[in-house]
Amino acid sequence: MNRDSFVPPTSMSGLSAAAAGSNVHKSYGVRYLCANCASNVSLSKECGHRVLYKERSRRIIQFEAR
Amino acid sequence: MKSFGTLEREKGYASPPDDKSKYQLLHEAIEPHVGSFNALFEGPGGGLLDLGIKDIGKKAVFDSHTGEELGNKLTFWIESVSVAKPAVPPRDKLSVERRTFPAECRERHCSYRGRLTLRFAYQVNDGPISYEDRDAGQLPIMLRSSRCHLKNMSPKQLVAVREESEEMGGYFIVNGIEKLIRMLIVQRRNHPMAIVRSSFQNRGLSYSKYGIQIRSVRPDQSSQTNVLHYLNDGQVTFRFSWRKNEYLVPVVMVLKALGEINDRQIFDGIVGAETTNSFLTDRLELMLRSYKAYNTKTNYEALTHLGDKFRVAMQAPEDMSDYDVGRLFLDRIVLVHLPGDNFAKQRLILFMIRKLYALVAGECAQDNPDAAQHQEILLPGLLYGMILKEKIDEYLNSFRETVRQAVSRRQAVNFDDPQFINRIFLRLTEDIGKKMQYFLSTGNLVSPSGLDLQQVSGYTVVAEKINFHRFLAHFRMVHRGSFFAELKTTTVRKLLPESWGFLCPVHTPDGSPCGLLNHLAHKCKVVTAEEEKTDEVVVRLRELGVSALSEANAAGPTVACVQLNGRVLGYTTHKQAKIIANTLRYWKVKMQDSKTPKVPLSLEIGYVPPSHGGQYPGLYLFTGLARMIRPVKYLPLNGKEDLVGPFEQVYMNIAVTPDEIEDNVHTHVEYSPTNIFSILANMTPFSDFNQSPRNMYQCQMGKQTMGTPGTALACRSDNKIYQLQTGQSPIVKAKLYDEYGLDEFPNGTNAVVAVISYTGYDMDDAMILNKSAVERGFGHGSIYKVEKIDLSSKRTRGDPITQRFGFGDDTWPTEWREKLDDDGLPIIGTLLQSGDPMVAYYDEILGKTKVKPYKSSEPAYVQEVKLLCDDAGDGELQSLTVKLRVNRSPNIGDKFSSRHGQKGVCSQKWPAIDMPFSESGIQPDVIINPHAFPSRMTIGMFVESLAGKAGALHGMSQDCTPFQFSEQQTAADYFGEQLLAAGYNYHGNEPMYSGVTGEELRVDIYIGVVFYQRLRHMVNDKFQVRSTGAVNSTTMQPVKGRKRGGGIRVGEMERDAFIGHGAAFLLQDRLLNCSDYTQAYVCRDCGSILSTQKSVPRIGTKAQMHCRRCATRLTGRPDDLNDAWEDGQGVKFTGGGNITKVAMPFVLRYLDSELAAMGVRMRFDVQPK
Repeated sequence: MNRDSFVPPTSMSGLSAAAAGSNVHKSYGVRYLCANCASNVSLSKECGHRVLYKERSRRIIQFEAR
Repeated sequence: MKSFGTLEREKGYASPPDDKSKYQLLHEAIEPHVGSFNALFEGPGGGLLDLGIKDIGKKAVFDSHTGEELGNKLTFWIESVSVAKPAVPPRDKLSVERRTFPAECRERHCSYRGRLTLRFAYQVNDGPISYEDRDAGQLPIMLRSSRCHLKNMSPKQLVAVREESEEMGGYFIVNGIEKLIRMLIVQRRNHPMAIVRSSFQNRGLSYSKYGIQIRSVRPDQSSQTNVLHYLNDGQVTFRFSWRKNEYLVPVVMVLKALGEINDRQIFDGIVGAETTNSFLTDRLELMLRSYKAYNTKTNYEALTHLGDKFRVAMQAPEDMSDYDVGRLFLDRIVLVHLPGDNFAKQRLILFMIRKLYALVAGECAQDNPDAAQHQEILLPGLLYGMILKEKIDEYLNSFRETVRQAVSRRQAVNFDDPQFINRIFLRLTEDIGKKMQYFLSTGNLVSPSGLDLQQVSGYTVVAEKINFHRFLAHFRMVHRGSFFAELKTTTVRKLLPESWGFLCPVHTPDGSPCGLLNHLAHKCKVVTAEEEKTDEVVVRLRELGVSALSEANAAGPTVACVQLNGRVLGYTTHKQAKIIANTLRYWKVKMQDSKTPKVPLSLEIGYVPPSHGGQYPGLYLFTGLARMIRPVKYLPLNGKEDLVGPFEQVYMNIAVTPDEIEDNVHTHVEYSPTNIFSILANMTPFSDFNQSPRNMYQCQMGKQTMGTPGTALACRSDNKIYQLQTGQSPIVKAKLYDEYGLDEFPNGTNAVVAVISYTGYDMDDAMILNKSAVERGFGHGSIYKVEKIDLSSKRTRGDPITQRFGFGDDTWPTEWREKLDDDGLPIIGTLLQSGDPMVAYYDEILGKTKVKPYKSSEPAYVQEVKLLCDDAGDGELQSLTVKLRVNRSPNIGDKFSSRHGQKGVCSQKWPAIDMPFSESGIQPDVIINPHAFPSRMTIGMFVESLAGKAGALHGMSQDCTPFQFSEQQTAADYFGEQLLAAGYNYHGNEPMYSGVTGEELRVDIYIGVVFYQRLRHMVNDKFQVRSTGAVNSTTMQPVKGRKRGGGIRVGEMERDAFIGHGAAFLLQDRLLNCSDYTQAYVCRDCGSILSTQKSVPRIGTKAQMHCRRCATRLTGRPDDLNDAWEDGQGVKFTGGGNITKVAMPFVLRYLDSELAAMGVRMRFDVQPK
């Protein structure tokens, strides 16, 4: 099992594997936003930009009011 | 009536303008930075870099290793330099966008830089020229310069590339940190200055304290200082320093080398018509006579002599004749601002000698190097270009040395073989970009020549974005040079009248950098574009009767010398010089109407009138770069704009206000009296009502305010950013506040302030905050901290990646998942407490999942998580940043201040119900103590309070520009009338009622609206408390330092205070009980504390203490078993049981053991026995 599954496959080998359709990457369901093109990706291959933002969680986060 | 412009601002945020910025002044403010950087690449002569490589010239190396012949000559030089805009590396095949934008560099903590390419040219003997493009690394690029992608972008486009809509640039991004090169004050270029300095005498026996110094600037803006020294016998020596070595040459030899000149001509050129001046003629005669000893009479002889002596220093090629080396010497060192014009150099040296004799004779005064009149600015871009030029020069030198090495080692050297040249390149360090990056990130100047500068470090500073005021002030900051910081005399720090309008009199810090770190007045500009249009000035001067030099036989202070940028154009009478100065000025201002003015408006016409022992007279014209200039109205042309410089201003009559203008006295009038203030000093409301140090304090505190650093904070990854969440537009603001667009970056909150001693908690600059106001968000701020997690930091280069973000298959605490997502990264928005996991990663070697914990003691919320790629864009994910938000609502102990240098610390958050209230039911947000005013005299704060109250009541913005009111029309009356109109007391006082009892207070209370700043000094960053904790292991005393939970030292002076109060018990407690209190066992017999030890307990008994030293070792069976004892090694002893326990500091034991190591025994006599 590959442990770097959530890593954007920016390496050429990773990309070609992804392009070939072989599912080497496990999806965690965590999405990222590309800092450049703002596309919602799990792995940035849209524009190859070098910064990704983690998306805000849909989980309800509640704090005790103080 | 002036509105707050809330809707326009709202619209402006929603749709930034897509043509040009709304706030041009903001962009003009940083022009010295961007303009000077652009001058490197564009301008007359093709930019300063091109001029620089021309100045470096051609270098040569020969391939023969025998001494007799030279062999083949390889000539090489740099043909051109090109700098590309920042782009992704060509290796990156994925990126759709090839440009690299600054925002990415900030987020990824990398540098914003573009590729630097040198076109290397070489030629063997006289053969064909070959070219080779060499990659010289990545050069850091200044933002918004002509080499930046942001150049010419509209605010809308800027926002699209994740910048501030008002991004001004002017700085560099180095490893994600914004750095700027600070402006330095240097001597005015190309003007011979009369200096009296006692250190001149240290140069030799007959050296006097008199000298004439000229900082001569080459066309590429690098400089060379020449000094003429007066020797006590009347001789003059020419001094310069070259590659950090000082050289002295007789000035007559330089004169002779500059062109065929006989002694008579030298005499005439210095004395002129004043042949009866025996002081002058005697000394001159001696100088000329003593020069005979050198026996170099002709031009050729002088040049050959100089060439012979300076061949090594000039690094001249071996095949160059002495004569040519001599000429090279003149080109490189003597008055380099007149390149190639040896006649002009000769005339200027003659002028300098005359000025020197005048100085010695007391005919003229010394020039003050600390006055703005003789100063200019060392511009960031020009400095950057100078360093770059020198690095290129070094590169060529290292090429030559490498070839020489190859030749001397008898390696295969073949200049005609391109392979050989390439092999040489491989041995060189070609990464000039890296060296420039080093300069920017450290501020250290690594230079073989020293660049004619007085310091080697401190050239760059971080452009801190604490708030926008701080950020902006960085770009207007001018430093005098770190050399002067160590100077014991304070003369350099003095505020001189020459600085009027150029350097702000208010905006300088107090303390050690006071007066050395200045700020440019807000209307002061620095010339950044070279104006080549000087020919017309010369033509005009000739028309006006300045005779050409060849015809003139004039010199000395009795006639006016006319100089243009340090070139002597001729002489005229003083009367005529004044007419010329006035005519030139009229002509220069008038000319600006035409589309292509033949002369720049920035032409400085420095007419120095004749005086009795004042400044050396003459007419000195300047058009060069780096001069400070400022606009004023020119009266003869109905107030048309004229630009004046600090040299000419001293002799001009500029009225401050129009009322002041006197006929036939004033030629100019100021646009506004506030032009003398810096941007920040202009923001202090009614600063003319305050005592001046208070305005200085405000300039400092405005820069420490928790405000708005910018709006593109989501696209930044600063280590720490402060933000005020509830910033407001001040009700009371200066006109300039809007012109600079500072409402885009609010810096405080309008607060209802009552001046009353009410709670008893407001003594000594403490202030009370209304608890309800705080709960509604008054002064609420946040700190954004960025933690970078880089898994590759511990890995050596080339090793395989073994650590990856995320969870592994092993078992790990399930609580981690409360804070972390499936991918091992924190959930956005989650709250992290100290010790919580921040990031999980799996270590393949250990087969374990690990976490990086959140270490700070303050709880923080996860704001952003950014996944970062490496530079090439093809590696695996190894680094990311987590941005955390720490909420900082105002707390007791936090610092606040008004804009009048009135800072205070919050001492209580007073419940709203207990606050006093006015008749209209208004209760204050802030209560301050009336004692804050009498000694500080910040009347401006009272006026602001009035104005703010009136503005709030009428719903309008108030102008607080200084110098608007007079004795006839007072501020108190103006705002008092407004208050009356709103139904309030004219004076701003109101009857108030106690919040506790409901009774009316016996006096009326001064209450109004004041803009309050929250300063970034907060208790949460400062509090230090300790009961027990870490101790130093050698002394067992508490450690120091807030971070380690250490204590605060009770030092000698505190001890003295305790003694003085007779607080012996407290002293005992602090110095012993709470420090290194220990119990020790002392042997009563020998008095040692080191030799006591515990015995091994016998069955049924306790371990006992014995003195090993006093015990006797048992060899056989003991007589009395009860007396014997055994140590840990099983050795048996008897005796040594006379032990007692005492209390003492642990360091005493340490001291004893240290002394024992030196063979000194300590003996403690314990009483009672």
